[in-house]
Amino acid sequence: MKHCTRCHLPETYETIEFNDEGVCNICDQKVFRDQSINWGERKSALDDLIETYRGQYEYDCIVPFSGGKDSTFTLYYLMEQYQLKPLVVQFNHHFLRPTVLENNNRTFKQLGVEVHSFTPNWKVVKRVMLESLIRKGDFCWHCHTGIFAYPMHVALKYNTPLVIWGEPSSEYTSYYDYRENEIEMVDETRFNRFVNLGITAEDMSGMISHDFKHDARDLKPFTYPPVRELKRLRYRSFCLGSYIPWDVKRQSELIMQKLGWKGEDVEGMPPGKYPYEKIECYMQGVRDYIKYLKRGYSRVSQMVALDLRNGRMTMEEAQSLITAEGKRPPSLDHFLEYLELTEDEFNAIVLKTVVPPFKPNFDEIEDAPRTWDYEQWYREPGQTQARRAEG
Amino acid sequence: MQPSLIGVLDLNMGNIASVMNAIDYCGFDTQVVRESNDFVNITHLIIPGVGHYETAVQRLLKEGLVEPIKEFVEQQHPVLGICLGMQLLHAGSEESKNGVAGLGLLPGKFRRFTGGQRVPHIGWNDVAITNEHPLFSGVKSGRDFYFVHSYCLPVEADNTVLATTHYERPFVSSSGSGSVVGVQFHPEKSQRNGLQLLENFCVWGGQC
Repeated sequence: MKHCTRCHLPETYETIEFNDEGVCNICDQKVFRDQSINWGERKSALDDLIETYRGQYEYDCIVPFSGGKDSTFTLYYLMEQYQLKPLVVQFNHHFLRPTVLENNNRTFKQLGVEVHSFTPNWKVVKRVMLESLIRKGDFCWHCHTGIFAYPMHVALKYNTPLVIWGEPSSEYTSYYDYRENEIEMVDETRFNRFVNLGITAEDMSGMISHDFKHDARDLKPFTYPPVRELKRLRYRSFCLGSYIPWDVKRQSELIMQKLGWKGEDVEGMPPGKYPYEKIECYMQGVRDYIKYLKRGYSRVSQMVALDLRNGRMTMEEAQSLITAEGKRPPSLDHFLEYLELTEDEFNAIVLKTVVPPFKPNFDEIEDAPRTWDYEQWYREPGQTQARRAEG
Repeated sequence: MQPSLIGVLDLNMGNIASVMNAIDYCGFDTQVVRESNDFVNITHLIIPGVGHYETAVQRLLKEGLVEPIKEFVEQQHPVLGICLGMQLLHAGSEESKNGVAGLGLLPGKFRRFTGGQRVPHIGWNDVAITNEHPLFSGVKSGRDFYFVHSYCLPVEADNTVLATTHYERPFVSSSGSGSVVGVQFHPEKSQRNGLQLLENFCVWGGQC
């Protein structure tokens, strides 16, 4: 496979393109971000925005919150810099890990914030996970859509137009390119462009209706609210990282120091190397494993790409870390139980979504070690072995 | 702040629903304006643009709408003319064989395209912003908007030109002075940038 000469991301990476020197567009965006965006001007614009909305509504803003490094930093920054009264909105995707729950509890208490939590129906979640796995090779539809749609419903319910997210997608992909020099609005256009995998809740309803009894209300948490209603509220939904330059490593250190936020090992990641990354979901190992089977790279590649771009790592060091990618995560057992799939069925589904020129080799896959909280993850009662295919 | 109520002038000459729908999508309430009493509650007025110039002027006169529009402007309420609506805001147009004058809120006379280009000018074309204005807030210069027209305002040296477009030769694609603005293109049919422009108009207080 072809790789970026600077950050080593492969040609199977979403939205990637290479210039004549073999450098990818994500790297070029980063150069523009660091050299051409007037961050002082952006910060002043953020100050103005916040002052426009402060004290005018039920809350100064909504902060969608997973408990990962980005949303924790966002909440910390807004409280520390602006002393806002936010409503923190948590969408519980069903796979929160013990360390994240502890972190959240500590963060909310330390910062003194009100929290609105929501957990969708597990039976609905399992059914849509299976459908999006089959159709897209990405089982996280309920999480992508719920995380981005549900807080907008809350904004409407609480008459709070300002919604502040954390990391802009331009940090990782080119759906929104820093070189456009525009603010990436977290709106319905963005939701439909890539967040929902091209499947609206209405689509999903039709896709599962033949074998899953439900009505439109069951999928409402995954449905983007009517744009007209949001516009009537004169909403503004954007990423903090569009107004201040995002620096994952520095920000993670800051929340560890200021809030006692704790990192965690993630299945398939080099132990202790990136303890701040994607710790909020115990299905992350499966997500990364599927990514590897489809595209020939995993989260390790994405993390070392950031370090390579920032000049924090040598190519040799990066390549040695990448060789550990693609191990089978222990959480795959839970996943297969939830979805009532055998591993052969799972492999057959994933094989249909492989991105060429990558070809996975299922014969040479090693097992990743368990993380300490493995035993605490939810098991379906009475279901110890995956269902046999019934034709 | 008083919420905006957007009046949409209905000269009974064509489709005003596309403008009403676009304003509705932008999250604002609309009210159809057909007579002088309809100006009481509205905060903004849109003069949509479909039809023949002279017929439109005659309708304005017949329905007694010229004075209410002028009074509305005197009170510094924002007024947006779209396509034919933009023509009506200006001094006159060649489309009137009898030389019937427009509202005269903006200067200049519209001319039929000359120079051999295909007429009407239909489709998407670039709009180069020449003077910053709240109407174009968040819209980059050079973005495409949708046009359908046979008459245009030639670019002449005056300070009411907000944007120009090139169709064989340049013409004025947006003009404005005080609380009055005109656009030759159809923002209600121009997708993201058009909707942004309409939203800008609806939140605009009429000052530049």
